[in-house]
Amino acid sequence: MQTRNVLVVGVGGQGVLLASNVLAAACLARGYDVKKSEVKGMAQRGGAVVSFVRYGERVHSPLVERGRADLVLSLEWAEALRWAAYLRPGGVLAVDLVRILPPAAQLDHRTWQASYPAVEVERLRQAGWDVRPYEASRCAAELGDGRMANVVLLGAVSRELEFTVEEWEQALREVVPEQVVEANLRAFHAGRELPLASVSPGDVRRPAARTFRVEVTASWCKGRSCGICVRVCPEEVLAFGPDDRATAASPDRCTGCQLCQLLCPDFAVVVREEVAVG
Amino acid sequence: MIPDVRGYLRENRMPHILCPGCGHGIVLGALLRAVHALGIPQDRLAVVAGIGCSSRLAGYVDACTLHTTHGRALAFAAGLKLARPELVVIVLTGDGDGLSIGGNHLIHAARRNVDLTCILFNNAVYGMTGGQVAPTTQPGWVASTAPYGHPEPAFDGCALVQGAGGTFVARSMAYDPRGLQAILTEALEHRGFSYVEVLTDCPVYFGRYNRLGEGPELLWSQKARFGEVGQMLRDKRFVTPDGTAPAGRVEGLRFGILHRAERPEFTHVCWSQVRRGGDP
Repeated sequence: MQTRNVLVVGVGGQGVLLASNVLAAACLARGYDVKKSEVKGMAQRGGAVVSFVRYGERVHSPLVERGRADLVLSLEWAEALRWAAYLRPGGVLAVDLVRILPPAAQLDHRTWQASYPAVEVERLRQAGWDVRPYEASRCAAELGDGRMANVVLLGAVSRELEFTVEEWEQALREVVPEQVVEANLRAFHAGRELPLASVSPGDVRRPAARTFRVEVTASWCKGRSCGICVRVCPEEVLAFGPDDRATAASPDRCTGCQLCQLLCPDFAVVVREEVAVG
Repeated sequence: MIPDVRGYLRENRMPHILCPGCGHGIVLGALLRAVHALGIPQDRLAVVAGIGCSSRLAGYVDACTLHTTHGRALAFAAGLKLARPELVVIVLTGDGDGLSIGGNHLIHAARRNVDLTCILFNNAVYGMTGGQVAPTTQPGWVASTAPYGHPEPAFDGCALVQGAGGTFVARSMAYDPRGLQAILTEALEHRGFSYVEVLTDCPVYFGRYNRLGEGPELLWSQKARFGEVGQMLRDKRFVTPDGTAPAGRVEGLRFGILHRAERPEFTHVCWSQVRRGGDP
């Protein structure tokens, strides 16, 4: 058989590596030669993660060239766009429609009106790829744990791959931590039943805008000689006012992390979420 | 969102007297959030404190509070718990109050396994009296009574309490208010003597004498100064030219919940005896 090329991609924390490990284990269960390579440098920061899996009678290199992948398994929409060019003409792009704003798109934290690519499945289909959108995250959340979206999507794709259900189950039992094996087997089988998601053109679905208000009780604040809140704020919302007390100089930049409130020893800082009225 | 817990403060007494940048208020904030999360009503919460900077905090909590004599907070608290077992009793004590003058009360409260939550603020210095060495000052650090560096070894309060029979022993730091809140929540839920040692900082004495900077710098350096990774992260000033940390400055305190055990609780044992009318 010809060597098969698969990419598993997503955002750090979604379980890209676990999904690719399950796939690799299924390949081994079938007796294939399999090689795997991954880029996960910024994974813990919500960055892009890619894992290459190549399997067949004899595999010499773990890397997949652009335009040569048979399957891209993407756990996130923007990551699907990033890696789609690795697909060969007619290759399958299975994508979870969950959307995670990458840090670079979060420069405008407050309103979350960051530019995020609209879900335009048709445009990708016109490029000649077989695009399969799924609501894997939603399915996993309904099963009780959104973290199993990777296994749900794997289940959905498993219908297209040559491995038997027994081989997949054996792979899952090998790779997934023991206490969650049963939950993941359920997620896998739910994935096998998962229908294609319907996507309306130009579907954007941004997170709802949130605004925050930083309140400083000046008479409680010990000012510049403490300075903890001003120094810990990652968005530089707080500054010292003319009376040397902390004040919310750039309130629009507040993202609601509440580090200032947690670390103010004087109970002077409180961050509240502003709830839109009407 | 983290709740605003200022409703648990006597707002007419604020601002508190602690120095700018002092970590004690951060610990109190974490404690009040833990109390709030557990839904403990203010009239069922008793905060008992001895003498020292940390013990001043009791006066700002809008609950049943008791400001007692130096080192004796645990003795008062044990009596209070015996008389009013329905109260949730929290003891705020410092490293001088709890480990030096009150060291005996600490080990005996642990031995008896009285259902108290003892929070010991460890800032490695006597802040209120002018920056003298405390039983927790690590060897090598400078204090007003140790200008050439402290020559003595320090107490490990957690090991002490565990050895004395405490049934919940944990250590956290002001640098990690969320983790601290989680530990305090478990400590409050534990039935028996719970001891939580919290590393905080005194910028005015400890920070100044040891040239560690002020409030923010001290907070950030907590992990480096006290953690097991401290040797690697340690401020370059404390690293010798060959890259090793000088002897005597290696602390390596352990963090998290260090010990948990189940043992008969003192108040329960005493009251059972009373109910039996003294019959065995």
